Amino acid sequence: MLKKEKTINYSKARQNYLKRLKKDKILVLFWQIAIFVIFLGIWQLFADTGVVDPFFFSSPSRIVSTILDLAHQNNLWIHIWTSLYETLIGFILATLIGFLLAIILWWSEKLRKIFEPYLIILNSLPKIALGPMIIFWVGSGTSATIVMCILICVIITTISMLNAFISCDHDKILLMKSMHANKMQIFFKLILPNAIPEFVSVLKINVGMSWVGTIMGEYLSSKAGLGYLINYGSQILKLDIVMASITLLCILAAGMYFLVSPLEKRYKK
Amino acid sequence: MKKLLEFKDVSYFYQTKESEVKALDNISFFIKEKDFSSLVGPSGCGKTTILSLTAGLLVPSNGEIKLDNQPIAQNDSRIGYMFQRDHLFEWRTIWQNIILGLEVQKKHKDTQKLELAENLLKKYDLYNFKNKKPRQLSGGMRQRVALIRTLVLEPALLLLDEPFSALDFQTRLKVCDDVYEIIKSEQKTALLVTHDISEAISMSDKIVILTKRPAIVKETLELNLSGNTPLQKREDKDFGKYFEKIWRNLC
Ligand SMILES: Nc1ncnc2c1ncn2[C@@H]1O[C@H](COP(=O)(O)OP(=O)(O)OP(=O)(O)O)[C@@H](O)[C@H]1O
Ligand SMILES: [Mg+2]
Repeated sequence: MLKKEKTINYSKARQNYLKRLKKDKILVLFWQIAIFVIFLGIWQLFADTGVVDPFFFSSPSRIVSTILDLAHQNNLWIHIWTSLYETLIGFILATLIGFLLAIILWWSEKLRKIFEPYLIILNSLPKIALGPMIIFWVGSGTSATIVMCILICVIITTISMLNAFISCDHDKILLMKSMHANKMQIFFKLILPNAIPEFVSVLKINVGMSWVGTIMGEYLSSKAGLGYLINYGSQILKLDIVMASITLLCILAAGMYFLVSPLEKRYKK
Repeated sequence: MKKLLEFKDVSYFYQTKESEVKALDNISFFIKEKDFSSLVGPSGCGKTTILSLTAGLLVPSNGEIKLDNQPIAQNDSRIGYMFQRDHLFEWRTIWQNIILGLEVQKKHKDTQKLELAENLLKKYDLYNFKNKKPRQLSGGMRQRVALIRTLVLEPALLLLDEPFSALDFQTRLKVCDDVYEIIKSEQKTALLVTHDISEAISMSDKIVILTKRPAIVKETLELNLSGNTPLQKREDKDFGKYFEKIWRNLC
C-alpha cells in the first residue's frame, strides 16, 4: 500500500529513470538466458549434424539422458551426496580452523612474527603435491578428500582474515583504548565487525576452492563422488559420463555460491 | 579558578628500531577548570603526544602529569578523547555509536547515562537520526555524534585533536560554533590541538604555543575576546593582534 503511494508521488524524471532501470535489468536477464539457450542449441546442432564428434564432445541431449541413466542405476545420488558432503565438511572445517588461527595470530604479535614465513611457504605450496602423503596419513576415501579440501582452503582463509584484522584503522583502536576497552572488547566490538565484509569474500572464495579440493581428492583416491565419476568415465572412455558429472558439478557449485552471495549484499558496502 | 591539568617537566621519547625520537623536552604547563585551551605548534612538534600522554595511552619517560592534583592513572575515566576523524563505526547505528563507550565500561544499562545520551541527542538535533547509519549523515553531523559519544562518558577533561581539520571551510566554521556551544553549555574543560591559528584564537580562553620538536612551551596567551561564539569572537578588534603574535611565534 505504502509503496503504491510512493510511486504516485515520483516525478516524471524519476519514473523514467526507474523504468529504464527495470528495462535494463530485463534486457540483461534476457541475454543471459539467450546465450545459454543458443550455446546449447548450437552444441546440439553440431553434434547431430556431425560437425563435432559427439563421442568426444557429447551433446546436451546425451548429457541429460546420461544423467537420467545414472539416476536410474540408483547410484548417482550416492556420488552427488558424497561430493556434496565432503565439500561442505571441508568448507566448514577449513573456514572455522582458518578463522581461529587468524584470531590467535592477531592476538599475539609474537606468534604472528614467528609464523609469518611458514604461512607464506604453505600458501605457495601446491597442496595437491601432498596428495600421496594424505593417503598414507588418513587412508584413502572420504577422509582423504576432506583433508585435501581443508588444506586447500585453510591457509588462504587464515591469511585473508589475519590481513583483515590487522588492517583495521589504528586510530580506531586508540579510540577504543581511550575508552579503556580491553583486548577482548577491542576484538569483538571493532576488529571482528570491521572484518565481516572480508569474511564474506573469503566464504565465496572458499566455496570455489573447496570444490577444487573435493575433486582433487576424489581423483587421487575414492570409491564415490563426482570426481570419481569423472575419472571413471574417462578411463572407460564414456565421455558422456564425464560431461554429465561436470554439469552436475556446475549446478552444485553454483547453488552453494548463491547460498553465500546474499550475505555479500547484506554486509558489503 | 583551580588547575585541572598540569604537566610538570614532562619528557617523552619514542623508541624505534632506528633511533630514539625525543618528542617532548621537559615541558610544563597547566590548564584551568572550565577553560577552553588550545595547543598550537609546528607540525610534528609533539601535540598529539601531549594528548596521548594525558589520555594515558602513553606513559611519560620523565616528569609528572596531574589531573585535579592527582597523578593520572592508566585507565583514567576522567578524560575523554576526540580524534581528528570521527571514527564512527559504520556497522553501528548513531545510537549504538554513542553508547559504545558506555558498553565498553559496562554502563550501558545505567538509565541515568542512557538518559543523558538521549538528551544530548535531542539537544543537538540528532535525535531523528538515532537509528540511521553514520554514512547517512553529513560530515558536520558525524563530528557532533563523535563529540556526544565522548560526552556521555562524562569526562572532566575533553581532549580534541584537530577535530575539524577533515571538514571543508564552511562546515568547519559551523561545527566549531556547535562544538564550542556544546562544550561551554555542558561546562566542560577542553584542550584543543589545532593547526589553524584563527580557530585557536576564536575558541580559546588560553593558548599554549609550542616550539618545534622536541616541544617546549614558547609562550602562553590568556585571551579575552568579546562574543559568545567563535564566529562572534572573530569580529573582535584584538583578533588580528593575537593572530600576528602567534604567527610570529610559530615562524
Ligand atoms: N609512534 C611513533 N614512533 C616514533 N616516532 C613518533 C611516533 N609518533 C610520533 N613520533 C614522532 O614524534 C614527533 C611528535 O609527534 P606528534 O604526533 O606528537 O606530533 P604533532 O605535533 O601531533 O604533529 P602533527 O601536527 O603533524 O599532528 C614527530 O616528529 C613524530 O615523527
Ligand atoms: Mg598530531
